Amino acid sequence: MKPYFDPERYPTLSEDGARMLKFLREHPQAPIYRNSSGNKLTSDDLNLLADYERKLNNSRVDWNERHLPQWLNTFVDNVYRDVPFYRSQGKPPQFTDIPPVTRADFSRDITAFVPDSVQLDRMINFQTTGTSGNPLLLPSHPRIAATYLCFHRRALRRFGIELSHGPENIGVVLVGHQRRCFTYISVTPQLGESGLAKINLHPDDWASPSDREAYLDALNAEIYTGDPLSLSALKTLPLSTRPKALISVGMMLSQGLKNEFESHFNAPVLDIYSLNESGPVAVFDANINGHLLLQPELYVEILNTEGNPVPPGQRGEITLTGGFNFCLPLLRYRTGDFASLAYSPEGPLLKGLSGRSPVRFRTQAGDWVNNIDITHALKSLPLAQFGLHQEADGSLCLSLAPVSMHYSAASLDALSSVFGNQPITVKSIESEDKIMQYTSNLKEGTLQ
Amino acid sequence: MAQITTHLPNLTRNNLGELNDKDFSVNNIGPDLQHLLRRISSTPADFLDEPKTHSGGNLAVAALVHDTLRQTGYNASVEQLHRFTSGHSEKDHNRLSLVALAIWVLNDDWFKSTLRDADALLSLLDLAMQQLADASTATKYINDSERREEFARFLLARLNYRPAGESITQATDRLSALSSTERNRLLQESREAEARARAIREALAKQAAAESADKWTRE
Repeated sequence: MKPYFDPERYPTLSEDGARMLKFLREHPQAPIYRNSSGNKLTSDDLNLLADYERKLNNSRVDWNERHLPQWLNTFVDNVYRDVPFYRSQGKPPQFTDIPPVTRADFSRDITAFVPDSVQLDRMINFQTTGTSGNPLLLPSHPRIAATYLCFHRRALRRFGIELSHGPENIGVVLVGHQRRCFTYISVTPQLGESGLAKINLHPDDWASPSDREAYLDALNAEIYTGDPLSLSALKTLPLSTRPKALISVGMMLSQGLKNEFESHFNAPVLDIYSLNESGPVAVFDANINGHLLLQPELYVEILNTEGNPVPPGQRGEITLTGGFNFCLPLLRYRTGDFASLAYSPEGPLLKGLSGRSPVRFRTQAGDWVNNIDITHALKSLPLAQFGLHQEADGSLCLSLAPVSMHYSAASLDALSSVFGNQPITVKSIESEDKIMQYTSNLKEGTLQ
Repeated sequence: MAQITTHLPNLTRNNLGELNDKDFSVNNIGPDLQHLLRRISSTPADFLDEPKTHSGGNLAVAALVHDTLRQTGYNASVEQLHRFTSGHSEKDHNRLSLVALAIWVLNDDWFKSTLRDADALLSLLDLAMQQLADASTATKYINDSERREEFARFLLARLNYRPAGESITQATDRLSALSSTERNRLLQESREAEARARAIREALAKQAAAESADKWTRE
């Protein structure tokens, strides 16, 4: 058991927790774990996390179209005092006069966005490539990584799901399906050291492909998380166990695929809009037909191209202020994702969420259709990933994930409701990363 | 006497190279510079005594300030003099020593016969000496030839004067070259900011940072 005691990766590990790590790694059908990580949480961290979650459980999003968040002014003052990028600008202006920032600003010099008060000795990073392909290291901290769970639990509770405590449970398996994937094991101290495994379903990571279902059945995880592509790969395995829920992040999840997952796994699928920059932002709820915001201390604006807020119901760029990443406080951060804002009795929600800037496509008749129409046309199909591109000559190409290629004909049929009998070529997506979902080489095709 | 203009440019790390003291006014012709430098060099030891504050000291700087202002016909209030008695830190002692040094220079006949603006004098003794105190010590302003010249020119410029025999451009350029106060402060700030940025980059690049920590979802 000795090799599992690692004070840096698992500062509070108990004998039971070490047994869990041994089980995860030394199971006869275990995959090749290629990396190491850990919760890195100290006793002090755990106390702070418990306090944070208690406070969170008694809070709700308190702002609406008439009232800004109560915490906003104090937050802005602190950022202008403590963050070099803003301090150099002098006194904070009116909130809506603060120039929004983008990922490009972070890429230029991320260090200018880290508050002076942040201690660096326990800093960690999350690498993000976005759809632009430019890698960026975002500063974070073990407690920030662990805070994700607070919001996952908040989201799961909405669907009546509570997670179990104790080192006899596997809390979560993070599923990947790529040729190369960061894989490791850990335990979650906030859940009494329940097990955590980040695995790659690609056959290269397993002694035998059938070890995948044997191992996952042995783990019997309460939750699977992954993007629609990796969850699609999970669905192909002949598992005899079923999770309490699945969490889909990282890419748009079509209603068709969501339905298929829910039916197959006999469990709810939570479609969570989450960014490395901010953590979990919102969870989709079919009853309110939108993504309900999860973080009381994250303010969301929808901005137009000029950087001005648009009224509820109007589409624009999702822009974030606040958040729980104390290493990277966000102040009017333009995410590059688009939606409109609406209000429900439960709080604000994002409607019609889509990644990246809106694109419109020209039909043969010369009419323009918005990318949202494409999403609607294809929503009933269980596509793991798709993209549509229009060339400068007006020709169209639909890209589908390899696992979804057998839906080619059905996809073209669905798109005929938009494009009539215009020919559309279909190709398979070769990249393993996110893709730009809607693109156009037509000059008038990009709306913003 | 014209009101002193002492607006420094709005400085950031980006325009540090452009720093100069052009916003100081040196419109009027003042005394001979060499005379002032000799006066600074020959500051009597009494003026360099430990300033009197709540925690001790012999030199009653507040009384010196009071007397200097009286020469212009102005009676300083207790509140105005408070700044010249308070302070416990070494930095405060240095500031008060610089005030004493300035008063020694201002007690020169040329100043005594010229200065009438009590507000400008008070501002010089309070705010301007604070600025100098942030950059260096009174001892250095006396003993180091460049700092000595800076002190003399800085004091003149704060009162809208330039050394006799110099054009406005010459006086401004020379002060700009010598002025180490704001420049030092900003350079220091800039150095600290660069060190911090380097430390963040190193922290982010560490193997342990790249290993990250547990999240239940990966975007």
